[in-house]
Amino acid sequence: MVVAIAINIVLGYTVQTVLKLPIYLDSIGTILVGVLAGPIAGLVTGAASNLIWQYAPGIGGGTIGPFAITAAVIGVMAGIWGYLGVYRSRPASGPRLWLAAIVGVAVILFLASRIYNNPAYVDPNVGGYPGWVFGAIVGIAIVASLGVAGFILVRHDIAGAWVAVAGALTGIVAALVSAPIAAYVFGGVTGSGTDLIVAALRQGGQDVYHASLGQGLFSDPIDKTITSFVVFIVLTSLSPRVVARFPLGERIVSDREE
Amino acid sequence: MSLTGGVPEFVLPPPTGPYRRLNPTTKLLIAVAEALIAFGVRGWTGPLLVLAVVAASGLRARVGRSLLPFLLATIPLVASILLVNTFLYPGATDRIVVIGPLAPTWTGLAFAVQATLRVVAFAMSAAILGLTTAPDELVADLERRGMGRRTAFVLGATVRSVPRVIERVREITEAQRARGLDTEGRIWHRVRGLVPLAGPLIFGALTDVEEQTMALEARGFSAPTRRAVIRVLPDTPTQRGLRFALAAGTALLLVASLAGQLGFLP
Repeated sequence: MVVAIAINIVLGYTVQTVLKLPIYLDSIGTILVGVLAGPIAGLVTGAASNLIWQYAPGIGGGTIGPFAITAAVIGVMAGIWGYLGVYRSRPASGPRLWLAAIVGVAVILFLASRIYNNPAYVDPNVGGYPGWVFGAIVGIAIVASLGVAGFILVRHDIAGAWVAVAGALTGIVAALVSAPIAAYVFGGVTGSGTDLIVAALRQGGQDVYHASLGQGLFSDPIDKTITSFVVFIVLTSLSPRVVARFPLGERIVSDREE
Repeated sequence: MSLTGGVPEFVLPPPTGPYRRLNPTTKLLIAVAEALIAFGVRGWTGPLLVLAVVAASGLRARVGRSLLPFLLATIPLVASILLVNTFLYPGATDRIVVIGPLAPTWTGLAFAVQATLRVVAFAMSAAILGLTTAPDELVADLERRGMGRRTAFVLGATVRSVPRVIERVREITEAQRARGLDTEGRIWHRVRGLVPLAGPLIFGALTDVEEQTMALEARGFSAPTRRAVIRVLPDTPTQRGLRFALAAGTALLLVASLAGQLGFLP
């Protein structure tokens, strides 16, 4: 748990400063602990990460503390996915493999369509909706679809579809939990690049809460899906001996050793 | 054992100045109360009150200049709050000025400034705690007050391990760059660098878990008896009273605010 919290704190910062990517990835440690050790461990890791990051002498500061609730929920969900064996490698070939790729793509396209059809973007009565959002949604959906389908087909592993679903659902729940916090505490913004989406939604006529929710539903599923795939790749790269030592380890390694 | 400039904390001279000499738990409670009041008491009163207390604490603790980096770190969030809310506040019609398509409003500006004050007050309260309190002292004091040894270990070990993990990330980044990791190119190339960076860090961390577990077990971490706390930090009846008053006062303020009884405040 200690190293997971440190990873959360350090890796999120590193990804943004070294790789300069517009994503958070500050929950890799939380999801990893949740998947390996269960919902309670995930909850504690998530909440403790944000609170320690905020208050710990020497490394504290910033404004991440209020999102401890979101991090805790992400940890609980990761624990549930771990318990259900979502992150277990499932080698396959033939029709099953193609079916999994289609399911993965369908999930992404469904999520993209829900965002694309957000009244803030398409209702002409609210006016002022920006055209660039449509292009961004379509572009990200295509890239994500190709990424998930490619991941499943290249690795011959249908677990990719499950990981995509788990990541997207985690992102949706994270957005639902984060929105009231961001709206109440920070006036609906977070100080990151995703505030452009908040601005677009406000321009489209949304109130503080719904603009914040719309931004979260746009960026959190993407962020958590990427995070889930990073965790999955790490888990499948670890030796079964190491993974099996953790409380939910056997739910991850069982199929790989067959 | 954490090091400050190569010298272990326990051989450093005791903290000077009235604020720094406060018991670590008192300082933690002050920071938490300030955060709760800044966000819980809406309008101007909550954030302004907390900012005044934070400013006074900062001066008393003589950390004014050290607060600057923490203040600068809030700039992206503060800029976003001010811009988005001043120019795009939903339903506001009291325009300050119209400049082409832009129409900032007084309602949006007031909301933005209040949110900014809350964020700054909150960030500064956390920063003052960090600047005036040694991690080991805070953990030791909380453990003496009954915090479980596992929680104490997680708190203490995390704070100590962060610099080590930062150092490891630096080594991994340099090693991967030497092997061709692209951290400056197109976004797709940078995305491909995620696993080469995260992978070795997590693999190493998971391997460390086993070593740490064995080291802790060898030192009787799971022993059923209560651990003796050697370091007892000074506390006074005045501070105990202050902590009680802070906890009760903050709870009262939050309940009154939620019940709408503070409507007379600006």
